[in-house]
Amino acid sequence: MRGQMSHPDSEVLAEHQAGLISGRRGAKVAAHLATCDRCTAVSDQLAGISVLLASAPAPAVPDGVAQRLDTVLAAEAARRSDSERAGADRSRERAAEPRRNRRGFRFLAPRVLAPAAAVVALAAAGFGLSHLGGLANSRAASSAAGPPAATPAASSGAKFAKTAAVPANAAPAHSGAAPLYGAARGAALGLPPHFTVISSDTNYLRATLRPQLEAALQAALPTPKALGVSLSPSAQIRACVSRVTSGTSPGTPLLVETARYQGQPAIVIIASGQGGDPAWITGPGCSGTSSNILVMTVLPPGISAP
Amino acid sequence: MPATDGERPSDAELLRRHVAGDGEAFGELFRRHRDRLWAVALRTVCDPEEAADALQDAMVSAFRRAADFRGDSAVTTWLHRIVVNAALDRLRRRAVRPAVSAADEQAFEALVAQDFDPARAVDVRLDVDAALRILPPQQRAALVLVDMLGYSVNDTAAILNTTTGTIKSRCARARARLLPYVAHLRGDVAGNRSAGESVSPAQGGDA
Repeated sequence: MRGQMSHPDSEVLAEHQAGLISGRRGAKVAAHLATCDRCTAVSDQLAGISVLLASAPAPAVPDGVAQRLDTVLAAEAARRSDSERAGADRSRERAAEPRRNRRGFRFLAPRVLAPAAAVVALAAAGFGLSHLGGLANSRAASSAAGPPAATPAASSGAKFAKTAAVPANAAPAHSGAAPLYGAARGAALGLPPHFTVISSDTNYLRATLRPQLEAALQAALPTPKALGVSLSPSAQIRACVSRVTSGTSPGTPLLVETARYQGQPAIVIIASGQGGDPAWITGPGCSGTSSNILVMTVLPPGISAP
Repeated sequence: MPATDGERPSDAELLRRHVAGDGEAFGELFRRHRDRLWAVALRTVCDPEEAADALQDAMVSAFRRAADFRGDSAVTTWLHRIVVNAALDRLRRRAVRPAVSAADEQAFEALVAQDFDPARAVDVRLDVDAALRILPPQQRAALVLVDMLGYSVNDTAAILNTTTGTIKSRCARARARLLPYVAHLRGDVAGNRSAGESVSPAQGGDA
């Protein structure tokens, strides 16, 4: 027999089930349900959705995420106690005295240009290679902006070179749409500190990550055997570094390297932190909107301290 | 009254200690609820990387804004609200900005497109989490809290800062929207689409 109304659609049935339809209309739906097997079945299925959803296993927090949160939290706590203690003027402190945190920016020099990291391609397309000798115990504070005029140990014979980074008016991230042509321009635009991206063929592995990262930082010291290709960072990498390091270390990173992690293209970022240097590995898609962090750890303090 | 060692301080007590300068209290509080907050973030944004970013944003925000907590809701409600807002915020930004990864973005757009045609998805094996992606974010957030995490409609309304009626309505519409997908998932074809419409032949027959 025909009901008093045509079949209500599933949304009406769902609303009815949730008690949202009252009065005459509610009574009509109820009356229809009493006589319509089809709508009763739909109604049962709607109720079954809640059961199905409730039975979905809760996702566990991935280890990498848990570690990262712990680290960010520790940095946040350190920052708070810092600012309580010292009135929050770390930048002045940095400018004034060459302490550990001011050790400058060292970049790992790789042996060979990594084949396929998308980010490398991006960077190379946007900005030429820099072939700058010397490394970076950047005294750069003095020569704030210019591309690092070859620092002392123009590590002989470095076919591929590393770069001294330029400091550090640690301006907040400014996702500049304008193309950047170097540190001078970056500084002129009030962009975050200039840094160089090193491209390497290192394959970081989960099992040996910390020793590898420590070695990378050490290799970034001015030793002749560290060779590499340095690139100006693309806008994407710039934004990525700002995003990843935000909340932990507003300054310039110690190392930014495009390499591999577990065989896949990845970006390595090591920043300077108090009580340890935070290090991140991100996927090649890391950007200002999504950090795509694969793993995060903290290296013991003082690895690369002079 | 400070809790002594061995006692488990309440959430509110931990938050008070944090505001008073205790360096450990916030971490303890956050870890206590981290799993559920992660589940909320993950299922609201449907992407582990975005979820991690959202949870990190939320954690830092809660850490810094703890003094603003007025105690007119439970600490857990407050924490959840910050996480859900961070998650929705990420979705919003992702929706208006050009994508970094065009492929990702296209996939996402396809999934959230209003005119997404369920019949075309019949061949696609969708699990629950994937099915959730078809929901508009606000509906998804409500449904995740109520149906997946078991929060009451009242608590969910408090978390999402809206009325219980709105929560009920969002959940109802979300369930109706999920019906074709979930029915398919269970190999059950009887409930496809709205009952008043003819059932497409494409919807029958596959497990």
